[in-house]
Amino acid sequence: MPEQIVAKLKKEINDVDDVKLNMIATEEGDVTLIYFSSLIEKMTLQTMVSIPLTNNIKQIHQMAQYVDPKDIQGVIKRLNAGQTLLFFHETNALLSMDTYSAPTRAITNTETEATVIGPQDAFTESLETNISLVRRRIQSAQLKNENRIVGSEANIKISIMYMDNIVNHKNLDDLRNRIDQVEFPLFTDISVLKQLIEDNPLSPFPQYYMTVRPDSICRYLIDGRIVMFMDNSQLAIVCPTSFFEMFVSIEDYYNRWTTASLLRMLRFFGFFLTIMITPMYISALTFHPEILPYELLLNLQESRSKVPFPPLIEVLFIELIIEVLREAGSRMPAKVGQTIGIVGGIVIGTAAVEAGLLSNILIVLVATSALLSFLPPIFLMSNTSRFVRYIFILSAGLFGLFGQMLAFAWLIHHLLSLKSLGTHYMTPGIPRKPSDLLDNVIRFPTKYLAKKTGISRAQKKQPEGK
Amino acid sequence: MSTANLKMLNRYHVIFLAQSIMIGTGILSLPQKLSAMGYTEWFMPVLFGVVATLTLWPMVWLCSKYPNENLFRINEILLGKVIGKVINLFFVLQFIVFSAGIISNYMHLIQSTALQEQTITLPVICLLLLLVYIISGGIKSIARFCMMTFFITIGMFYFTRWAIEKGEFSHLIPLFNFDWQEFFDAFKKGYLSILGYELIMFYFPYIIDQKKAYRHSLIGIWISIFLCFFTTVVSVIYYSEWQLKNVEFSVLNLFKAGEFSFVERIDIIGITLWVFLILSSITAYVWCAKLGVDSLLKKKRNYQLFLLAAIIFLIVRMPFSREFQEKLFTTSNYIGYMLIIWPIFLSVIYVVRKKKVQQ
Repeated sequence: MPEQIVAKLKKEINDVDDVKLNMIATEEGDVTLIYFSSLIEKMTLQTMVSIPLTNNIKQIHQMAQYVDPKDIQGVIKRLNAGQTLLFFHETNALLSMDTYSAPTRAITNTETEATVIGPQDAFTESLETNISLVRRRIQSAQLKNENRIVGSEANIKISIMYMDNIVNHKNLDDLRNRIDQVEFPLFTDISVLKQLIEDNPLSPFPQYYMTVRPDSICRYLIDGRIVMFMDNSQLAIVCPTSFFEMFVSIEDYYNRWTTASLLRMLRFFGFFLTIMITPMYISALTFHPEILPYELLLNLQESRSKVPFPPLIEVLFIELIIEVLREAGSRMPAKVGQTIGIVGGIVIGTAAVEAGLLSNILIVLVATSALLSFLPPIFLMSNTSRFVRYIFILSAGLFGLFGQMLAFAWLIHHLLSLKSLGTHYMTPGIPRKPSDLLDNVIRFPTKYLAKKTGISRAQKKQPEGK
Repeated sequence: MSTANLKMLNRYHVIFLAQSIMIGTGILSLPQKLSAMGYTEWFMPVLFGVVATLTLWPMVWLCSKYPNENLFRINEILLGKVIGKVINLFFVLQFIVFSAGIISNYMHLIQSTALQEQTITLPVICLLLLLVYIISGGIKSIARFCMMTFFITIGMFYFTRWAIEKGEFSHLIPLFNFDWQEFFDAFKKGYLSILGYELIMFYFPYIIDQKKAYRHSLIGIWISIFLCFFTTVVSVIYYSEWQLKNVEFSVLNLFKAGEFSFVERIDIIGITLWVFLILSSITAYVWCAKLGVDSLLKKKRNYQLFLLAAIIFLIVRMPFSREFQEKLFTTSNYIGYMLIIWPIFLSVIYVVRKKKVQQ
């Protein structure tokens, strides 16, 4: 009987060479240890299993769990989760000890969402660390986290976190349903899962908020949002969210309200500027030169006098160069990248103007709009603005200002019809509650911000005594 | 048609639906249409507001008797299936021609100001595609679009600043120097500009708080009336009487008075931004037409919206002379008045038939 089980196990773990089978002689006869050496540190194994096993076997019986040896699949699952199995040859008992101790990264500063003021720690790729970073900030029994397994092949752990007394349970059920319906073999990052459970996967706009900052996550949790973590993924998802929140940085709440309001205005209107500046250039020069005052028109035409292309081609050309610089810069090794990026930018820019391929003014405009596109604190949004800009450029090339306004109407309608976990994406634009306006483009002084936002559709507080 | 989950328009939706549908191309030429009365025209929008308030009442009253039915169904209930369907078909045609008229007017305006070197075929197609996209979201998405439209376009009022500065306020008096002939002429031509609030008879079943629908619609109507009133007053101050009669799109020319150091012709920005107002009006009309087609056909089909768009495209770009088109659109405008009177007629029938039933 025991030989059969071991044989079966051996067959299952055939060719898995990091499974170790150690035979140890103890007071209760021979014991075989079975474990994945890649998931367990030797030190842990020594202190938790080997030493007690040889010296104080009672301790093992107190701490270990009994496992049904016939359930081979269950046994394999335990092995994969980093547990050590102990097989007692004399009693035929199978025990398991949790010894998972795979190497993890230390908590470091955030590089993607750095702020000057405020806590500097960021999530890591370990689910446990991330949850601990949240739990040490919200010390409440109402903070729940549900673990689930996703990924039909890879079995990846995710965790849904929410405040039980604040969260909208209808939203929560909706999210659970969506996750249950997902069938995907492997999730290398939580953004893959995010794209599968979004309301409109075809839209260029990100419909869930993503961040690596625990302070930001805690703020949303207290507001009644649902947060999701995934093992091996640094980012956490917040849902539902709104278009406007893509321009909110947690630093806004640490700054004075005046500064924060200014910065928010800059980011929010910056988005519309970055998609509008270069199309404006096209439509003004191609269709409506009369829209510009005489001096400005003269200035523009002078700088364009050598350029042999129509404005549309000129703009597409320089925008493509900017994209190439940006993409090349992000792939190159850091030390080379910076130099090449700056030198490449200046050389290509100046040389192109001098060669008569581009106009000076256009380079100024494109550079401005490229900088503006980096203003949103959420990187996905800045990528979106890059994409949306091309729609505007093409429509401006087709019908000038009229095309731009058509594209703008499309954009507005698209944003209006988008939803984030069933809540309208444009929510503070069309507020659900009057108090939403207090934390909008203008951030009011902190004492006015205690209320929950309308977007989370948080539970109404139960009156005392009921 | 009688399920509870149809109710989806809250009060803000009702307010801004009434408000945005009313403002279309009409307001652009309102001062010219009223110009038969000379300078005294400026109080006419207020009078229109009063008339609108009075005519809205029978509409809401009639609809409140059938809280789950739109006008197409009410027609069939009150007039019988056959007559009702004929009338409905007529309404659908009216809506199609009416919205084609709005698009055609606007696109010719665009062609004359912004896109002088192009035909309007491709822009019209793009506009119609956008229209289909918005309508396919249903009445609620139209209402939300109307709301955004209001806040995006309201900033244009700033552009009238220079006209007010340069204008002559003494144009506003004397007040009552017109005869009845002129008054009726101005009334007949001008009232067109504020049509649109009658569509409440079609989206009434979708309103959540139907008891207050009248009040909310009134708020919307009076916002629009105020906007019309404001532009008319500014036009009266700024223009001479001859200009009022002969400048067709006087509101656009008000923008031309603007002086920025970095933009010369604000009117181009204004007229292109106007596409929001146009879309918010025609989406509602075409949505109503689609509702009518739904009620005429037994089977619900998906392509009918594209069919409607194609018909509108054909009307706008049909190979008839411009005069014929003008005539068609003017006729459809005057038929638009019938829709204002129609609920009064239906109310009478309702009262008579109700008595019959009770006997």
